[in-house]
Amino acid sequence: MSGGAGGGAVGSAKTPADFLKSIRGRPVVVKLNSGVDYRGILACLDGYMNIAMEQTEEYVNGQLKNKYGDAFIRGNNVLYISTTKRTLGD
Amino acid sequence: MATEDDSAVKEPLDLIRLSLDERIYVKLRSDRELRGKLHAYDQHLNMILGDVEEVVTSVEIDDETYEEIVKTSKRHVQYLFVRGDGVILVSPPLRTS
Repeated sequence: MSGGAGGGAVGSAKTPADFLKSIRGRPVVVKLNSGVDYRGILACLDGYMNIAMEQTEEYVNGQLKNKYGDAFIRGNNVLYISTTKRTLGD
Repeated sequence: MATEDDSAVKEPLDLIRLSLDERIYVKLRSDRELRGKLHAYDQHLNMILGDVEEVVTSVEIDDETYEEIVKTSKRHVQYLFVRGDGVILVSPPLRTS
C-alpha cells in the first residue's frame, strides 16, 4: 500500500496522531456531525478529538452565527479537522 | 520552544479546568444552551452547574407562508447535573471585561 493518498500536502505526517501533533497553533476548520462549522486557531487537542480553539467562529449553513473567544468541543461530535489558509485581519 | 515534550502539552480538558468556579456557556444537543457556574466536570464532560439558565430553541415552519418562526423557551435551575454525552461545546460566556 503506497502512501500519498491524500495528495501529500503535509509530507512529514505519517499517522493521524502525527498530523494531530503537527497542526497545533494553526487555523483550522472543524466540522461537526451536525454539519456546523467552527473556524479558529487550534490551541490543543487529545486522542478523543476533544478540541480547544481560540478566536472561534461558528458557521451554520455557511452563515456566521456566533463567535467565541475560547471554545472546547467534545470529540464525539467532530466529523473532521482540517487546516486552512485562513487569512485573519491581524 | 523547539522541543515538544508530551508531558508538558496541555489537553483541552486542562483548559476547561481553568473555568472552574467561573460562569460558562454550554451548547448541548437538541438545540439547547446553558449558562451557569461550573462547579465540577469530568473526562466525559459530565458537569455540575449552579445558578443555570437553559434556553431551548425551536424552529417552526408556517404551513402557508413557509416562514421560519424561531422560538425560545427558558428556565432557571439552581443546581444541575449535565450528562456529558449531550455536550457539544463549552466556552466562557462573552464578557466585556
